[in-house]
Amino acid sequence: MAETAAVLTKEPYVPTDADFKLKGNDKDILVDSNFASQSFWKEVVARFRKKKSAVFGLIFVLVITFFAFVGPSMNSYTYSGQDLAKKNLAPRIPLIEYTGFFDGHENIATTKGTKTVNLYFENKLPDTFYWFGSDNFGRDIWTRTWSGAQVSLIIAVAAAIIDMIIGMSYGLISGYFGGKVDMVMQRILEIANGIPRLVIVTLLLLVFKPGMLTIIVALMLTEWVGMSRIARAEMLKLKEQEFVLASRTLGAGSMHIIFSEVLPNIIGPIITQVMFSIPTAIFTEAFLSFVGLGIPVPRCSLGSLISEGFNSFTTHPYQIIPPIVVMALLMLSFNLVADGLREALDPKLKEM
Amino acid sequence: MGGGRYLSSRSFSIGVVMKKYVIKRVVTALFTLLAITLILFILMQLMPGSPFNDEKLNDTQRAALYAKYGLDKPIIVQFFQYVFNMFRGDLGVSYKISKNTPITQLIASRLPISIGVGFAAVLIGAVVGLLLGLLAAFKKDTFWDTLATIISVIGVSVPSYVFALALSYQFGFKLKWFPMLFSAKDVIGSSVLPSISLSMFTMASIARFTRAEMIEVLGSDYMLLAESKGLSGNKLIFSHALRNALIPIITVLAPLVVDLMTGSLVVEKIFSIPGVGSLLVNAIQSNDYNVVIALSFIYSAMYIGIMLVVDILYGIIDPRIRVAKEGD
Amino acid sequence: MSEEKKLREKILDVKNLDITFETTAGKVHAIRGVNIDLYQGETVAIVGESGSGKSVTMRAAMGILAKNAVVNSGEIIYRYRDNVGGIDYNPENDANAQWKEADILKMDKKWIRKHINGRRIAMVFQDPMTSLDPTMTIGKQIMEGMIWHYKIDKKDAYNRAVNLLKEVGIEDAEKRMKQYPHQLSGGMRQRVVIAIALSCNPDLLICDEPTTALDVNIQAKILELIKKVQKERDIAVIYITHDLGVVAKVADYVNVMYAGKIVEVGNINEIFYEPKHPYTWGLLSAMPDLGTDDDRLYTIPGSPPNLLHEKEGDAFAPRNAYALEIDDKLEPPMFQISETHWAATWLLDPRAPKVEMPKELKARIERMKKEAGVNDSKL
Repeated sequence: MAETAAVLTKEPYVPTDADFKLKGNDKDILVDSNFASQSFWKEVVARFRKKKSAVFGLIFVLVITFFAFVGPSMNSYTYSGQDLAKKNLAPRIPLIEYTGFFDGHENIATTKGTKTVNLYFENKLPDTFYWFGSDNFGRDIWTRTWSGAQVSLIIAVAAAIIDMIIGMSYGLISGYFGGKVDMVMQRILEIANGIPRLVIVTLLLLVFKPGMLTIIVALMLTEWVGMSRIARAEMLKLKEQEFVLASRTLGAGSMHIIFSEVLPNIIGPIITQVMFSIPTAIFTEAFLSFVGLGIPVPRCSLGSLISEGFNSFTTHPYQIIPPIVVMALLMLSFNLVADGLREALDPKLKEM
Repeated sequence: MGGGRYLSSRSFSIGVVMKKYVIKRVVTALFTLLAITLILFILMQLMPGSPFNDEKLNDTQRAALYAKYGLDKPIIVQFFQYVFNMFRGDLGVSYKISKNTPITQLIASRLPISIGVGFAAVLIGAVVGLLLGLLAAFKKDTFWDTLATIISVIGVSVPSYVFALALSYQFGFKLKWFPMLFSAKDVIGSSVLPSISLSMFTMASIARFTRAEMIEVLGSDYMLLAESKGLSGNKLIFSHALRNALIPIITVLAPLVVDLMTGSLVVEKIFSIPGVGSLLVNAIQSNDYNVVIALSFIYSAMYIGIMLVVDILYGIIDPRIRVAKEGD
Repeated sequence: MSEEKKLREKILDVKNLDITFETTAGKVHAIRGVNIDLYQGETVAIVGESGSGKSVTMRAAMGILAKNAVVNSGEIIYRYRDNVGGIDYNPENDANAQWKEADILKMDKKWIRKHINGRRIAMVFQDPMTSLDPTMTIGKQIMEGMIWHYKIDKKDAYNRAVNLLKEVGIEDAEKRMKQYPHQLSGGMRQRVVIAIALSCNPDLLICDEPTTALDVNIQAKILELIKKVQKERDIAVIYITHDLGVVAKVADYVNVMYAGKIVEVGNINEIFYEPKHPYTWGLLSAMPDLGTDDDRLYTIPGSPPNLLHEKEGDAFAPRNAYALEIDDKLEPPMFQISETHWAATWLLDPRAPKVEMPKELKARIERMKKEAGVNDSKL
């Protein structure tokens, strides 16, 4: 083959008489070798990998998740251990401190202007290292940031999965049965959708004690609507298709059709929506913590850390930076992954 | 001009179809509001430490309170009394923040400030977002597109209070361009940072949506047909592309307002803005249930109102809703 | 019909067109050396499966190619007589009318929009459900082009639009003018699209699968309509279709396209009664036919090649039951069969073994000939 290609560009191939005989491929042309058909998911993965931002997002999600679970045990501090003698210390990391960064110095604004101090030396703590600094109670911000990220991640993922189950079932059932069932279910949904998320969450947390479970329930209650819309729309698209009709003719039950026939075919958009609802959940949790309805002390989440850091963010900005950066990166990464996934699953490439 | 002919026919068709559409929307809105009021009413009854079951009250006080709110009557009457009070604007009194002050009075001075900042944020967000989205769509796959996409991804991903903190630190604390805290003396100047931080999410969402919508419209068959007619340049964009791309954007404005409300709570706290958001945060933190519930009602009512307006606006603008099909 | 023509004026000449699309997946070589001729007042059909490049070719002629298209080589020469006299100008009545020539591929977009699109070449798209602007009244969409190109006043445009609607068989034209696309049925919308296409008096109409999206009973009516306006206005029509049934009803000449190349071209009788290319045999065999006792529906095995990957030799060979060894090595040239009939298959080479078309198809063609013979007086 390679030789022929080379010849073609210079002088055309001169056919010999032997070339003019039937290949006799009337038998094997029935086997379609032209499109070595890739499986759907293989193509999705290939398209996803082509999108740099999505891969970048996925890497960050994995890295942050790793630190969220391993980070808190990487030094000897605990998330709740206080030491008032070592409060408000700036970040200091062994070895790196010799570069001038993370050496424990900070600029403090005084009436006479700013001055640079290093509390580690002023307080005679040469062997103490707080990688991200310590807070107002002398707690290690490194440990607290990652343990906060862990809490935020658990809450967000749990809420997203639960709301996926509820929203998806609601949407699928509503879409499948159609008619009056759909009408009633959609009116209920419209009313539920008319209540601002803020109100639902606030009220729920007033009635129940704030805590991880309550926050998960509150998030679940607000996010299922979007999920059910997507599931319903997909169901309406699929339910007239041959494979559904066929299995209905064969006498399959409604629940079987909904959950064994249709569900596997809409898993793509559903996962995408879950990916989108995770950052929303992280954000809402952070917001709740900020207004005082979050995880009770001494546990912390990214939101409560930001809330604590806010009180001293002009004097000790390093205390608020780690949780903010981690949260922003986390939300950004999930959004990028979700975006990439959506495009990979549904390539709207009108390229010709 | 021929325009008159179209105008008259348009106003005619609005009549019948739109009426039905509007009625449906209004009824849904009212039902939603009623459902919320019911939830709030139930919560009022359940809430420990709500004015109705406070242990510190003596019997006569309690009897007086009961008589005032009609709590001695059957529960269903109570509910309608409650609904009536709410809709009339009697939201009860604050219990902890400012003892016995009518909530209406508490809110009266705060609502305009919140609405002002919120409106400015929507305006900034919508205008900048639209321009950004259109730029990205028209210059698809260029540097401008990438820039607009990066800005909008960051805007969607980073919570508004992070922007608030960053802006307040940089432009308030360090550069001192704008006041860090709200001041009644310089309402406009001190609203700049809060409005911008609040607008980020709206801006980013609208930019994203506009871009997607415009790209879809530009690739649509009717744009190809319009091009094949020989239309070009501004004519093509203004009479076909913009209208079709912008109509759906109205629909995302309503949900964005909700996010704005949520954001305003925190942003108001950060900039010490004496608005409803910070009042709600105070009420939550000091367990002033009465205020929380009243504000929940107000937030819901505002949201439902905005949704209703948006829906009707959408109906008026989009002929597919305004004008019925043949035989309908 | 064509005998009474005084002189065949060539109005479109696509020469050796070669187009590549730069997609995210890679370069797609969609058009690989296409030649098409079209004469004034005649009808040419371009037939092929989806992805064969038939629409792309015509979009190139309209100057509405997607941005990622790269024209590697070729010419699209369009000959026209400028309508200097405004919207009602008819060059047939003007002794001074001069023929002009332009290579569409060399002209800039602005010039094409101003002089060609709508005014000289108009297009009817496949799906009338999506090709009309949903937010604009029918009337405005018809009037728009006339006002844009000829600067006529609104009242004039309005009256012309009403007449156009009547011409394409829409009743209550005045009422329809004020309606929006969603208020009309699919068939009616396609009539509106045709009215829009005719609004600026073009001399070439390109119909891209004009009936595919429509109900069967409406398809015939739309084809009749296009035929009627073609005759009345003496315009040339290019049909892009995958449906040989449509081709049989309307075309004078047929181009069979496969994988970005014309593989067989001939007049309607040559293509239907004496097809030479195995791909044309396949297309003809795949035509649904009520007359046959065989109730199996034939399909061409396999699927069109992925044009992302260049293939040595004849692109159709992997699906061709009559493929020769040479097909894998060298692309077949166009063999001339008659003055108008050409086909690109090595089977026509004198060295090739004698291969007849499938028996079933031969029987079918005989039957078609007989039926056509009956209808000859009507044709």
